[in-house]
Amino acid sequence: MALLKLERVTKLFGKLAALEDINLDVEEGEILGIVGPNGSGKTTLINVISGYYRPTKGEVIFKGEKISGLRPDQIAAKGIVRTFQSNVLYEGATVLESMLLSSHLQYQSTDWEAFLNTKRYKDDFEKVVGRVLELLKEYDLLNDTFLPAKGLSHGFQRMLGILMALMANPKVLLLDEPTTGMNHEEAMFVVGHIKKINQQGVTVVLVEHNMKVISSITTKVVVLDFGHKIAEGQPREVMNRPEVIQAYLGTEVMV
Amino acid sequence: MPPAGIWVDGLVQSCIYMTMAFGMVLVFSILGILNWTHGQFYMLGAFVLYYAVTAGIPFPLGLLVSGIVIGGLGMLFERIIIKPLNTPPYGALYVTVATLALIFFFEGAAGLAFGLLPKGLATVLSGAISLGSFDITYQRLAVIIFTLVVMSAMYFVLSSTKVGLAIRAVAQEPVAASLYGISAARVSVTVMGIGCALAAMAGGIIAPVHSVEPFMGRIPMIMSLLAIVIGGLGSLTGAIVGAIILGVLNSVIAYKISFWSEVVLFMLVIIILLVRPQGLFGAAAK
Amino acid sequence: MIIGRRYIDYKSLLPKIVAGAVVLVLAIFPAIDHSVVTLSILISSGIWGIAAMGFTLILRTGQFSMGQAAFMAIGGYVAAILTVKLGVPFWPSFLASGVLAGVVAFLIGIVVLRVGGTYFSIITLAFGEMVRIVITNWESVTRGAAGILLRPPAPIAIGNFEINFATSIVPYYYFMFLLVAISGLVFWQIDRSRIGGTFRGVAANPMLSEHLGVPLMKYRVIAFTVAGVFTGLAGAFHVHFISVVTPLVYGLWQSIQIMMMSIVGGISSIVGGSLIGAFALYTVSNYLTRVPIFNIQYLVFGAVVVLVVLFLPRGTGIIDLWSRFWRKVFKDSDIYEEFSTD
Repeated sequence: MALLKLERVTKLFGKLAALEDINLDVEEGEILGIVGPNGSGKTTLINVISGYYRPTKGEVIFKGEKISGLRPDQIAAKGIVRTFQSNVLYEGATVLESMLLSSHLQYQSTDWEAFLNTKRYKDDFEKVVGRVLELLKEYDLLNDTFLPAKGLSHGFQRMLGILMALMANPKVLLLDEPTTGMNHEEAMFVVGHIKKINQQGVTVVLVEHNMKVISSITTKVVVLDFGHKIAEGQPREVMNRPEVIQAYLGTEVMV
Repeated sequence: MPPAGIWVDGLVQSCIYMTMAFGMVLVFSILGILNWTHGQFYMLGAFVLYYAVTAGIPFPLGLLVSGIVIGGLGMLFERIIIKPLNTPPYGALYVTVATLALIFFFEGAAGLAFGLLPKGLATVLSGAISLGSFDITYQRLAVIIFTLVVMSAMYFVLSSTKVGLAIRAVAQEPVAASLYGISAARVSVTVMGIGCALAAMAGGIIAPVHSVEPFMGRIPMIMSLLAIVIGGLGSLTGAIVGAIILGVLNSVIAYKISFWSEVVLFMLVIIILLVRPQGLFGAAAK
Repeated sequence: MIIGRRYIDYKSLLPKIVAGAVVLVLAIFPAIDHSVVTLSILISSGIWGIAAMGFTLILRTGQFSMGQAAFMAIGGYVAAILTVKLGVPFWPSFLASGVLAGVVAFLIGIVVLRVGGTYFSIITLAFGEMVRIVITNWESVTRGAAGILLRPPAPIAIGNFEINFATSIVPYYYFMFLLVAISGLVFWQIDRSRIGGTFRGVAANPMLSEHLGVPLMKYRVIAFTVAGVFTGLAGAFHVHFISVVTPLVYGLWQSIQIMMMSIVGGISSIVGGSLIGAFALYTVSNYLTRVPIFNIQYLVFGAVVVLVVLFLPRGTGIIDLWSRFWRKVFKDSDIYEEFSTD
């Protein structure tokens, strides 16, 4: 039974079908790539899975449970967390503050305990800070702990965005074009980190434009075009299929 | 079934709320802020009209004068108060605080300048016309005709003129519009002028029906705001539809249950928001 | 939100000591000056200060409530009706006022905070007006525009000592002091705790927070309801203090004044800022009502607020002058340093 299933998912905006009849299985532990030309529905797919959009038709099923129609915070609590293409951060916050603001799902203590500042809360807080510092250290952001997040270089901002998503304890991490705007080194740096995250047990759904990234870490790739799934399979094999090349004709593809 | 007069009264109210709400939504779509002082421009417009008419200027001309004068005031207002407070490092909060504070400033100023006693213009456009089984006063008819004319004019301006095009462009895509040479600043001033002129003329046209006093802007302002909420914040059509619903319902409900009408309407708005939180024509739910 | 703090030595205790001294002076103030005029000003400032704290708390979640005075009206009228018409003793009616105001806030909140933002501001403004209309017209219950007259709360006996509200204003002062202290403590603790941090996240970037698992509605409603409860309590006490309640006492003007008190005082400090803002604005508007020319109060007040807003450095209020002062004093001392948001 696949960890995350999309069954006949369709998303209409008025008459425009951003997604049409998408069937998708995400197996636990894999890194699934989602590719397709601009406008093919990749980000819409993420928006539907994460609960930002409600599918017009079809269901999103996670661990056997129907999650389509739940709110984003509910879906995050179930274990599916996304990052944003335009790298959304908290204005004016430092790296540490950004991480703490992302910790809602890390805490075990209730709001009452936080309000009353009980011992249980204090211990919980220390654990959370510990986890924050652990992540920052592991992904080379420790030196920037007290710096404003917006002051980091683009690549590190992206990593911060991913770490913030990790603070929410995801089983499935939806990454929306994490390497956009990066040169090859930066992209491979992020790729290495994604691999590390996956090895620690997080299933990854990776929306990408950059074929080098896709071919280096994904185990399976799905190709979208105009809201339809047109191909699925091993990255190298799939990218050479005629219908896929056809879809990309006229679009710049980084291979 | 309430008598026709009640429906007419409702329609008259709708007309006023529509004109005001339209101006507010226009300003909101371009400047991104809600001008809480809008009701006071309505009030000031009424006063300008009052003094124009009592000075001998014919009513229609007085209306125009009121529109131009207060429209001009609105443009000044945008330059001096809104623009500086709407740009970073300030922001929407400051505009809100300022426009709220200025409600009282204008009411106080009007009270000082014109006195608190309501002023009547009952003699203007007096008389009524008979339409079958009921009479409608010329004053009320004037409001309806005025609104039709103004709304048609606005439709024409927005759809077919260069100014209208510029306004729509900035409302939808400010950055792209600026790339085409459309100055957002100029459009902002213009839109503010239009919005305030509309409010002023609404105040003027209703002046013979009700009386003119410094606090007259409050209830129409609230009703227009509710109309916008029902209709959906960024939607001009929504403002019009919302105003029609609100005005007519207010009159009908008042006929049935007297003073509680506004409260009932408020409840209705809450119910609509329960079902459709973004208003009837607001940005669609996902 | 204070994230890091380096070693604190006695120098950074100085501002805290000064603040503590101010609180101490306020605590024994009636011994220094027990004139009715001065104490009335302080009592009213405290009451409106609580309402301003409520506004600030709601603002923490990114919402502007334009109708906080309505909750004072609800609290005030519930207290008046219960004590005067139904003979309920002071304490149960006082607490009931807070509870009821909170319930109303909760009900309004769960409907309107879903979209929030401008809609919320509009609805709270309209709500304020609706409350006024209901009060004015429901004459059978509220006596309409004539209002309700209240008698002072019954004397409280502690041992041999009796606190008599009828004979002196001092008991009112201490009641206010305790109410402000308790309210302030609650607001302050919410604000500095994890909940306050969550509030700020919800305000700063609701979409991001939501996708990271934060239920936006829950926190917005919490802030709005807590504010409602304490504002209701403030209203309930206020009507006993001024011995009368009419529809005019808590209208749009007051809602906007509450907003001004919070902002002018300084939204960065939920307790100190609100209280200072309340004191400043209350004394100013009080002074203005003495001016014989009617309506000048509105005009001058409006102008003053706009000017203050234009000239106060961005995001700061009176209370921030306090922080800047201490930062200047300790300019060369690198021991006093805090890392905090905004």
